[in-house]
Amino acid sequence: MKRGKGMKFVGDSRVSINNRKPNIPTDYSEYPGKTEWFYPDFLLKEWMVGAVFLIGFLCLVIAEPPPLERVADPTDTAYIPLPDWYFLFLYQLLKYSFASGPFNVVGAFIIPGLAVTALLLAPFLDRSPKRRPLDRPFATGFMLLAVAGIFYLTWEAAAYHDWEASKEQGKIRDVVEIDKENPAYGILEANTCLSCHGENLEGSVTGPPLVGTELSAEEIMDIAVNGKGDMPAGLFTGTEEELQQIAEYILSIEE
Amino acid sequence: MSKEKQSGKEKQDISRRQFLSYSIMGVGGFMAAATVMPMLRMAIDPVLKAEASGDFIATNVKVDEITTEPQRVDFNFEQKDGWYESTVTQTAWVYKDENGEIVALSPICKHLGCTVSWNSSDNYPDKFYCPCHKGVYDKDGTNVPGTPPRGPLDRYQYQINDGVLYLSRRASEVGGE
Amino acid sequence: MLNKVYDWIDERLDITPLWRDLADHEVPEHVNPAHHFSAFVYCFGGLTFFVVVIQVLSGMFLTMYYVPDIVNAWESVYYLQNEVAFGQIVRGMHHWGASIVIVMMFLHTLRVFFQGAYKKPRELNWIVGVLIFMVMLALGLTGYLLPWDMKALFATKVTLDIAQSTPLIGDMLKTLIAGDQHIIGAETLTRFFAIHVFFLPAALLLLIGLHFIMIRKQGISGPL
Repeated sequence: MKRGKGMKFVGDSRVSINNRKPNIPTDYSEYPGKTEWFYPDFLLKEWMVGAVFLIGFLCLVIAEPPPLERVADPTDTAYIPLPDWYFLFLYQLLKYSFASGPFNVVGAFIIPGLAVTALLLAPFLDRSPKRRPLDRPFATGFMLLAVAGIFYLTWEAAAYHDWEASKEQGKIRDVVEIDKENPAYGILEANTCLSCHGENLEGSVTGPPLVGTELSAEEIMDIAVNGKGDMPAGLFTGTEEELQQIAEYILSIEE
Repeated sequence: MSKEKQSGKEKQDISRRQFLSYSIMGVGGFMAAATVMPMLRMAIDPVLKAEASGDFIATNVKVDEITTEPQRVDFNFEQKDGWYESTVTQTAWVYKDENGEIVALSPICKHLGCTVSWNSSDNYPDKFYCPCHKGVYDKDGTNVPGTPPRGPLDRYQYQINDGVLYLSRRASEVGGE
Repeated sequence: MLNKVYDWIDERLDITPLWRDLADHEVPEHVNPAHHFSAFVYCFGGLTFFVVVIQVLSGMFLTMYYVPDIVNAWESVYYLQNEVAFGQIVRGMHHWGASIVIVMMFLHTLRVFFQGAYKKPRELNWIVGVLIFMVMLALGLTGYLLPWDMKALFATKVTLDIAQSTPLIGDMLKTLIAGDQHIIGAETLTRFFAIHVFFLPAALLLLIGLHFIMIRKQGISGPL
């Protein structure tokens, strides 16, 4: 705060009336065509880049609805988890034998810990005043190695993962109210149908839903006895009459 | 003389400033501690809370039904998750070993907590196999060296009442305790 | 009109020095894409901040519908995505923004690293930047659980198992994060919600503030 005689203030405040800084831009005419003001010259350019970026981003948002899987069910033991894509490389690291089992500490703490510490302390590890990447081969080399490692591990994890099954296991399944008192439901249960096709016949990773199959009674009976796809033959062990019964039952809950 | 007086006064000034700044630190420390301490204690409560002692849960398996082939046993109990009470299902792989002793293994993979199952992979017959990272365990739950898991599968404790198998709520580490 | 408002405020608060400092700070030639197209690499930091702003805004609006409760969390997300007009867009912005922000930050970090821009006197700003990166990853991790769908639950289970395998303090650490020694449930969700919505954003805003103050003070690093 400037002090001195002749200073006048706004009311009883400390904001001066005279000696006010005029609101005019600094003169950069000494550097023609080089330096420019942040506002409005440069900010406009930045915002133009931002606007183009935003258009791309909004296109992505509109084209790809955010995924939502079915509600969390801790009892579903068959679910194979997958972290968000930017943690895939860490997840993959834990699969290798030098970083798992008795060496889990290596994969989970020592390697990531060293990497993070090195990144955090980079200015103190790489202290030469040289800035060009080629003038500091160690820093550049280590970073390139790390980036290559991250890309490789992410790619490995993505290649190993069964995306089809992954999509199937998380699907939101419509649960239709079905009549569980019907004796045919008991027959399904006794023939282990429900363990794959779900307690509400809503399907699971191992078997498709039996609601709305669009099959005829004959086809249903044929599949129950002879199997189809991954379903082996001979799973149904009941009588011919029971077979008839479950076919009618499944047709009755056809929506 | 005046010089002496001045320096004396300066000294006094410094110590007065020091006193005040120590006081500020003290009062500030008190204010910070008194506001944050209850909050921290609240946040770490789950760590310090003693766990309710586990009793044994009846399963629907009769002891003489248990064979030497591991079978999947599901059992239910009431679980209190904070204010949320629910019935949960735990799974165990149960069999009798060569000595006729019952073994109840937890299906939670000791690598990253996926779920293992018996004989589920064609490549590893008569083993417990974890599909996440290809972890393999022997029948007695020992992890096969060279696969990712960090140790053998946890085991449930069991009791037998009236010929029915009772299992503990939680499986505990083998050789851990 | 605007000028009058400006004068009225300036008369009372003398804001011109602040405003001129911001508006006039010079932008050197080598970061200006109008002079060198390769200067687009300097945009990554600004774009990161832009996405952070989108994340904060969309997150604030998402909490108008979302409840952090294991019975209702999924239902509320399903509702806001399928029943609320533009709910899918807002959730989409938050979901995809979370990925884009990591990409942009990664590129920004590489730019600063390969240009050696972290060297003296900018060591502190580099450290703050790395801390921002960590906070962002933690935001991604905690936000992943909130929809309470299958992948959320099981990915968090894996995360907590990794935390539990920490030597010595593993069990305590897991209980502290999950709110229960064995269960990933009601208390885990509220904890992750609090961390994702209050603790980490507070840390993030503080760090970003420091980051910007230091950039203004030290200026952009010179050309290579």
